[in-house]
Amino acid sequence: MLQRDSSFAREALRYGLIVLVLGFIVFPIAWMIITSFKPPEDVMVSPPRFLFTPTLENYVHAIYDKNFLFYIKNTLFISVTSTVIVIIAGSLAAYSFARYNVGDGHLLFFILSTKMFPAIAVILPYFLIFRDVGKTGVGRFLGIGLDQPGALIISYTVFNLPFAIWLLVSFFQDIPRELEHSARLDGLSRLQVLAKVVCPLAAPGIAVTGVFTLIFSWNEFLFAYILTRKVASTVTVGVESFFTLQGILWGPVAAAATISVLPMLVFVLAMQRYMVRGLTFGAVRG
Amino acid sequence: MASIKAERLVKRYGAVQAVHGIDFEIADGEFVAILGPSGCGKSSTMRMIAGLEKISEGSIYFDGKRVNDVRARDRNVAMSFESYALYPTISIYENIAFPLRSANVDNREIDRQVRDIAEKMELTSLLDLKPKGLSSGQAQRVGLARALVRNPAVFLLDEPISHLDTRQRYRMRRFIKSLHQKFNYTMIYVTHDQEEALALADRVMVMSDGEIQQMAVPDEVYARPKNAFVAGFVGEPPINFFDCGVVAEPGGWAIEFQGRRLVLPERLHATAQQIGAGGLAAIRPHFLSIGEESPLRLDGKVFITEELQDQNLVMVDVGDIRFTLVAHPSVMPKRGEIVPVSIDPAHLLLFPRSQADKVGSIAA
Repeated sequence: MLQRDSSFAREALRYGLIVLVLGFIVFPIAWMIITSFKPPEDVMVSPPRFLFTPTLENYVHAIYDKNFLFYIKNTLFISVTSTVIVIIAGSLAAYSFARYNVGDGHLLFFILSTKMFPAIAVILPYFLIFRDVGKTGVGRFLGIGLDQPGALIISYTVFNLPFAIWLLVSFFQDIPRELEHSARLDGLSRLQVLAKVVCPLAAPGIAVTGVFTLIFSWNEFLFAYILTRKVASTVTVGVESFFTLQGILWGPVAAAATISVLPMLVFVLAMQRYMVRGLTFGAVRG
Repeated sequence: MASIKAERLVKRYGAVQAVHGIDFEIADGEFVAILGPSGCGKSSTMRMIAGLEKISEGSIYFDGKRVNDVRARDRNVAMSFESYALYPTISIYENIAFPLRSANVDNREIDRQVRDIAEKMELTSLLDLKPKGLSSGQAQRVGLARALVRNPAVFLLDEPISHLDTRQRYRMRRFIKSLHQKFNYTMIYVTHDQEEALALADRVMVMSDGEIQQMAVPDEVYARPKNAFVAGFVGEPPINFFDCGVVAEPGGWAIEFQGRRLVLPERLHATAQQIGAGGLAAIRPHFLSIGEESPLRLDGKVFITEELQDQNLVMVDVGDIRFTLVAHPSVMPKRGEIVPVSIDPAHLLLFPRSQADKVGSIAA
């Protein structure tokens, strides 16, 4: 009897904890989604109302009055471009670190160490550099001045690359060298070995790195806020624009936030299989 | 098929020199085993032959043609790896077909050749599987099939069976030997296992510290090792070494140890003369016996007897020297027993004392 009681208590505790943790994670998201469907008069009342007539008013406001899809489009372009660059440059760099031990470990550490200072420490120089470069012909051509997508693409690439390299190095290290040797003897050139043998094996790792990079870029606020005004603003800045002089438009903020979460949510769910494989890939072998 | 020649071959990794200018020749169709402890330079040598490592100095020739600057994929060298190195994302069939596909062989021909080699290697039923599901013996056979499918000029095997269990190992060993006898490939087999090397190869190249210690037929490596390292590395159970004095006798030479004197056979006279006073003598456990008549009998105190069913290993202390000897299974002396030990001088080996540290490096 005693045995059963204690095991019941343990199970209860286990599920209690799971519910608690899930609550912390799910509740704000649920709150955001619920709020996005509330009519204005139900948004800021206390105690909160959970029974209300749902409305699309907030979405209409966010999409038509505030042109929120414009921010989505910007963000999509900037974060996807930056992620593609990060993945290509990061994979090549990580491969050479993993295989040729370039820089004897010091260079790799240096690259990682650039992640150690806060982003805000460089925001002022970035601002000045992009302001001046944007005025030059090349800067205008490439769109890398202030309030232009190029500035954010470069910033996000610079800031995500070290992390991506660091993550990818371990994935490449896990691929046995013999496979590459064998492929070279079997008639492939070095580049073909990279494309046909190494990349398929590193695919889960590359997918994981890509997902992280994309999420970081998508959610970034500081650089987007400082370096853009109107033309190249991203979703995080877009949501901020709902904090008006007349007050904070909580309903449309919730609607805009829901819209900006959706693409990432769908994307991560679609990639989940690869992500789990990628995340456990290194752990199992180590 | 090709013959291979290396001239003053050097491999350096940064400041570390792994191979110190070695020379060797391998005839067309010959089976050579490169034998040595880990770090002796055997794998570097093999990888230079394959073209996977840059040659730091010296040259390698295939059929008289210098191949230093020929890329790995153009040397027509096949290699089987210790870790099998099968491509995990594609099927066994595609693994075997891989070298043919990169050589742009047409599909019908690929299919014919893959099925043909799979048949010979008893892999036909596995062709649709992925490498993950294979046993280690099967994986190694796939590795060999992939190497052989394109008829290589040189076939390199890097510790191909050291991951297999004992029974599989014997099977695979016979299989590799039969491959050589059937197809007469020029084969180079890298191993740290002296038994494999002696059993398989036409000639054995013993390496240590980046140098070739001896390159000869197995019998010679075993019976006439060129130096103390080879003597100590080759042979199981390991050879017995003991310090001795070398003295001139009327009409010959003798060694002295533990207050006893043993006249040397004539073949060792020249060695004895070169060595001078202090020598390192060696005798294999098979050439020591208990109670048999010989020119020299010693009294030994039994330390331990290991009964291995088909033979017994007896460790006996003669003075402060501990000898291991192989005895008939019926000979089972007890610990502490005093037994007569005889040495067969015909099989005695003699090296300069200065080589004693080479012996130490084997144990380490």
